[in-house]
Amino acid sequence: MKFSFFHLMPYTDAQASAEWPVPNRDFDAGKAHGYYRAYLDAMIHAEDCGFDWVGCNEHHFSPYGLMANCNVIGGALAHATRRIRIAMMGNLVPLNNPVRIAEEYAMLDCISGGRLVAGLMRGIPHEYIAYNINPDKSWARQREAIELILRCWTEPEPFGWQGEYFTFPQISIWPKPLQKPHPPLVISASSPESARFAGEMKATMGMVLISDLAMAKECIAVYKEAARKAGWEPKAENILIGMHTCIADTDSQAMAALKSAKEYFDRVLMGGPRTAGRLVLQKSRYYQEAANAERMRERLAKREAATLEQQIEGGMIFCGSPQSVVKQIRRVHGELGNGVFNFTMKVGNLPDAVVRRGMELFRDRVHPEVRDL
Amino acid sequence: MRPLVYLHPAGGVRPTKVLEKLKPRQPVFPGFDGTPTVAGLNSRKALGKWVGEYIDREIGGPCDILGCSFGGAVALWLAILRPELVDHLVLECPAGLQTIDAKLRADPAEFRKALFVHPEKAFPVSKTREVEAENRRMLTHYGAEDGKDLELLQTLETIKHRTLILHGTEDRIIGRESVRLLKSRLAKSFLVYVWDAAHNIEVDQPERMLELVEGFLERSEAFVVNRAG
Repeated sequence: MKFSFFHLMPYTDAQASAEWPVPNRDFDAGKAHGYYRAYLDAMIHAEDCGFDWVGCNEHHFSPYGLMANCNVIGGALAHATRRIRIAMMGNLVPLNNPVRIAEEYAMLDCISGGRLVAGLMRGIPHEYIAYNINPDKSWARQREAIELILRCWTEPEPFGWQGEYFTFPQISIWPKPLQKPHPPLVISASSPESARFAGEMKATMGMVLISDLAMAKECIAVYKEAARKAGWEPKAENILIGMHTCIADTDSQAMAALKSAKEYFDRVLMGGPRTAGRLVLQKSRYYQEAANAERMRERLAKREAATLEQQIEGGMIFCGSPQSVVKQIRRVHGELGNGVFNFTMKVGNLPDAVVRRGMELFRDRVHPEVRDL
Repeated sequence: MRPLVYLHPAGGVRPTKVLEKLKPRQPVFPGFDGTPTVAGLNSRKALGKWVGEYIDREIGGPCDILGCSFGGAVALWLAILRPELVDHLVLECPAGLQTIDAKLRADPAEFRKALFVHPEKAFPVSKTREVEAENRRMLTHYGAEDGKDLELLQTLETIKHRTLILHGTEDRIIGRESVRLLKSRLAKSFLVYVWDAAHNIEVDQPERMLELVEGFLERSEAFVVNRAG
């Protein structure tokens, strides 16, 4: 079993706002400086805590995450670490210049000595408003962008691309990735349609915001079927499950800490993105099938309505003492058969000291019990 | 603009949006589309020479060449044998460099599917079944059934013309290895992949192809410079 330490880099001094975009009039760059230092320190420390991957991602226009370009963070991590994989989960390929993504990912792979995990994400709905891209086109743009990125990495000669959304007369990137034929891919797969796409693209599937294990199992089944049709057989390590995770010395300490932090996450950090996301889901075909849009709405509502106890019971989060978290990990792994867990340990405004303590408990008392799963 | 000569694929001459717009001269190779064969003319190399004679006779000087698939291999031979007659060369999914998948060739229905991503865009074909069958037989006549032309492969590097190579991202007839090889051997070539096109790029993505071909023929290697907006 591999474990990933994932960070959203939230701005945790924000006031609750349901506006979109979230007004930045009170943004304090001095505080942001402190956040970046603390968050980077924690991510680098993940290597010493037994984590196999350290992960980050791209978000825009809200305190939800301060990584408008997570490759900047990836560069800092690649230089400061030696063993851990740098998991970019990832760049939002429909919104960006695919050639630029190919170049920056290749840089990260070379800087890190071949430790990049290349997430090629579609993004959550509100990002489409931020970057003024039609959400109806998200699937088509993602498919074309990924194909172009793969060619940027693998074509032996300069080439051009005449596409529907992207056109480049000639491309010849410097550098090319160290890993051949290219770094391993991760594609988000939290709905059946995205799971199918990840299987078709021969990528690791990444599931986050699980609302129940039955739904997760369905996505995994769809993914495996699509992979087989595409001529390959996924292994456990190709299934990544993302979890909000809080580990403390006792169950009650973990529950108390996470309850407050999660409330901040739901009420403050998710405020603006929730508003924008609602607009996108109402007014677009971000989800190709109406049933999937409805499913997404239900999933988020179910997560938000559930108590912490219900979320733990439902396999939506990991929370508790090391002993409890070991049990929870074993149970979810037993149900889903995944080979990677992606922990978000900085949930909402959970104090960094609590996150650090959780990382150390993971290293000393959780990881030894579950690494051989 | 220089005169443009279109060298057709093994299906013979067919109208497409691209050809309507470019209005090239379109010689029909002997034996195709109901024309008689010519004694002794039985290889793609010989057809290259034959096209040279056609250009001498009809144009009398250098021209641009657009060769599609089978016609792409003939265009390469023309550039090797009569370099002085070729100005710019455009190769649309050119054949001749790689063996074509025998299974695909053996199954006409599957082969036809492999031609297009968007068959609905193809203009109606008025050729009789006999003509279609005879066109297919010409592949054997010209020793092109296998697809690969070893002599062509050995002499490719003598081509010094500015060349635009087009390949559809969904092309299962001419593999990506084939166009990569061509790109690596032609010193002044540009390879461009056309998204959402199979073997017949003219049919699947005529606008994308036209933008590329017109830009290249008009501006030569400067076609890579963006002029929009």
